Amino acid sequence: MQSNSDAWLQVREFSKHFGGARALSEVDIDIHRGEVHGLVGANGAGKSTLIRSLAGVITPDSGTLTIDGVETRIARPSDAEAAGLGFIHQELNLVPHFDSVQNILLGAPKVKRFGMVDWKASRKVAYEAAERIGVQFPLDRRVDELSVAERWLVMISKALARDAAMIAMDEPTASLSDAESQQLFTVVRDLAADGVAILYVSHRLDEVLDLSDRITVFRDGRVTETALRGDLDKRGLIRAIVGREVAAATRPEARVVDRVDPIFEAKAVSRGRMVKDVSFQLYKGEVLGLGGLVGAGRTEVARLAFGADKLEGGSFELQGELLPPNSIPVAVGKGIGLVPEERRSEGLMLEKSVAYNMNIAVLKSLRSVPGLPFLSSARSRSRAQDLITQLSIKTPGPGARIGGLSGGNQQKALLARWLTPDIKVLFLDEPSRGVDIGARQEIHSAIRKLADDGIGAIVISSDVEELAVLCDRIVVLCEGVVSGELVGDDITEQRIIELSYSHIDNQGDTE
Amino acid sequence: MTPTTPAFAAGASSTALAPGGRRRRVLMIISRYGTLIGLLGMIVAFSIKAPTTFLTVPNFLNILNQGSLTAIIAAGLTMTLVVGEFDLSIGYVASFAGLLVVGFIARDGLPVLIGIPLVLLIGAAIGTVNGVLVTKVRINAVIATLGVGTILVGAGFAYSSFPIASGVPAEFIAISLGKPILGIPNPIFIMLIVLAILWVILNKTDLGQKMQAVGGNIEAARLSGIRVDRVKIFAFATAGVCAAITGTLLSSLLGSGTLAAADGYLLDAFAAVFLGSATLRDGEFHILGTLIGVLIIAVGFNGLSIFGAPTFFQPIFKGAILVLAVGLSTLARRYSKA
Repeated sequence: MQSNSDAWLQVREFSKHFGGARALSEVDIDIHRGEVHGLVGANGAGKSTLIRSLAGVITPDSGTLTIDGVETRIARPSDAEAAGLGFIHQELNLVPHFDSVQNILLGAPKVKRFGMVDWKASRKVAYEAAERIGVQFPLDRRVDELSVAERWLVMISKALARDAAMIAMDEPTASLSDAESQQLFTVVRDLAADGVAILYVSHRLDEVLDLSDRITVFRDGRVTETALRGDLDKRGLIRAIVGREVAAATRPEARVVDRVDPIFEAKAVSRGRMVKDVSFQLYKGEVLGLGGLVGAGRTEVARLAFGADKLEGGSFELQGELLPPNSIPVAVGKGIGLVPEERRSEGLMLEKSVAYNMNIAVLKSLRSVPGLPFLSSARSRSRAQDLITQLSIKTPGPGARIGGLSGGNQQKALLARWLTPDIKVLFLDEPSRGVDIGARQEIHSAIRKLADDGIGAIVISSDVEELAVLCDRIVVLCEGVVSGELVGDDITEQRIIELSYSHIDNQGDTE
Repeated sequence: MTPTTPAFAAGASSTALAPGGRRRRVLMIISRYGTLIGLLGMIVAFSIKAPTTFLTVPNFLNILNQGSLTAIIAAGLTMTLVVGEFDLSIGYVASFAGLLVVGFIARDGLPVLIGIPLVLLIGAAIGTVNGVLVTKVRINAVIATLGVGTILVGAGFAYSSFPIASGVPAEFIAISLGKPILGIPNPIFIMLIVLAILWVILNKTDLGQKMQAVGGNIEAARLSGIRVDRVKIFAFATAGVCAAITGTLLSSLLGSGTLAAADGYLLDAFAAVFLGSATLRDGEFHILGTLIGVLIIAVGFNGLSIFGAPTFFQPIFKGAILVLAVGLSTLARRYSKA
């Protein structure tokens, strides 16, 4: 494409595929010196793929990058640094026991002869960088003694010490207090006034609207909207994030759920900053969705209910009885199951067989003689075979290594792990992530079938469409707090997203 | 449950072979059958070179007999490696148990049938301490077991500073020297029984399946409702019992309790277990593999002594085998993840 723009940094037609999935599709973006440029979009819309491409972590399949009129290729992180691009990720890659000076100069210290570090020169560079953003705290303290906000300032200084002309910030306020956020905004504005471009990625739309001179909206790997300050309000921004028609997804016919006695109930459960006073009920035969953004506390709630993390407040009740907290074996024994978010790292024994992976949670029921610890291989095999047929899992056989199966079939096998006569409540965290459409539909019908059989299913998904088509009722979390509940015809993608982004609106009411 | 047979595993992995998979496949075959080929190769070579000394029934029984003690302690070690942990204390546990058993029987006059179970119980207790330190206190297994082992060295010194009565009863010595059937020495039978029990636990019980799950993916095991800590403690306790059995047999063989007598079994056991993990299964620790690993070491040593290799050659052989074994095991694991 002809670059007729005068922007300092110009991305043209960036595309990137991962396997069959399109992560970026012909993305154009202009970044000007001294502007705050907001990037917004749902999870997986392409923001982070773009940033990772600019950072040299991944290489786009096609497209060009022009910086200051010069076509530039960024193949590795050092190229990005040389081009004046700085990146601050949410995790803040700091060495905890180094002081700020060491961290600011990490990887690029001033060196004297014989490779000795020139500490005097290094300190000078570090202090100059820190002074630009008005750092008040001494730079010789270990960074693990600093607050999160102070660490952000160290990271920004680090970028400045490398002469960054652009700094990308990923969810900078996610773990900052309001006062700290305000402090950061001042720094961001000052930097922009100083000529530094800021690429600002955040789910907090009010913040983005407030700070940004220009906002780029991503959806499904494409740029769907580029707006200048004042062109969009929050409502318009949400519409741009959700996309086109915001049509009511094709929901299956409403299932009849008798909502009298809950089979499972969360009563004001809390854990740290992630889960705050969350309450909800689940009824027999119901598919309940837990919606919200990544980091809203959905996975954490499921893990608390399952006993995987320590409950700090509140309680769970199963069929009206208190569920003893903090013990997975107890939860499993009482008929609660969890299909975890990270299939490979938290779910599968990849080197083992399909049957092994399916049976590992129910070994006791597969003994040849009850009371004796010996397993019946016939029973193990037939249970696995039955489930393979029931869920139409594509595998050479129950003895095949599960690592060789496709993602969708692995996911079905994990689901099968919990299909026992005793199961009452099943949590499914991102059940269709990374699986193809066909498998996704099969997983959905398996979940609905479970509910038909009287099990309570709780589905966590970042995919609002999945929640809308699958769930009878949806509880949406936002920053660890229940921000709303949707039932029946109220369930629309638009509403789920609005509730997911509702923290700023509700802040006055909830706190 | 459905143990992955080698043939099946080969079929499953070969589906993932891409271009360049040929080299990978060759490497996989080498890593899977290399140890067996090596063992057979050694036996054939030694038999040709020394048909009259090596290739004799008494020599083979001798090899098996000596290998029995290593096999038992190595099988215990296999259990801890299956759950993804380490136990560096086993050699010291065996030495300590060897002192205790002689002390109990010869000095304190306990009947053999009480003294030996008591020592095995102490072995289990030491293993349990190891397990608790690793799981509950969360000390790295290498450090915890090395610490416990070193404490036992001191305890052994303290214990053996009491005069141990010379009269070790004949029935205690007969445990290792007896040859009840076809002139086959007792330790071989004991080894076969211990290995059979451990094999059944690992492959035929739910506990064994859980152990494999814990070693395979500890987070997934935890999220399946497995009590991960208990499973690990059991593995350490088993290793402790096995070490105590080896120590007891060694004392019976020597006819006395000797300081540090069994310390050297640690390295042999590690070499055997890692050699075994590269055998038949792709880098997984398993009892049959461990037995094969033990045989490789035992046959190698036997060959060294038959051909009159200088003594300094023994540690060189041992060290080389250990490095080779871990290397092969790592290789096997890498190429199984095609």
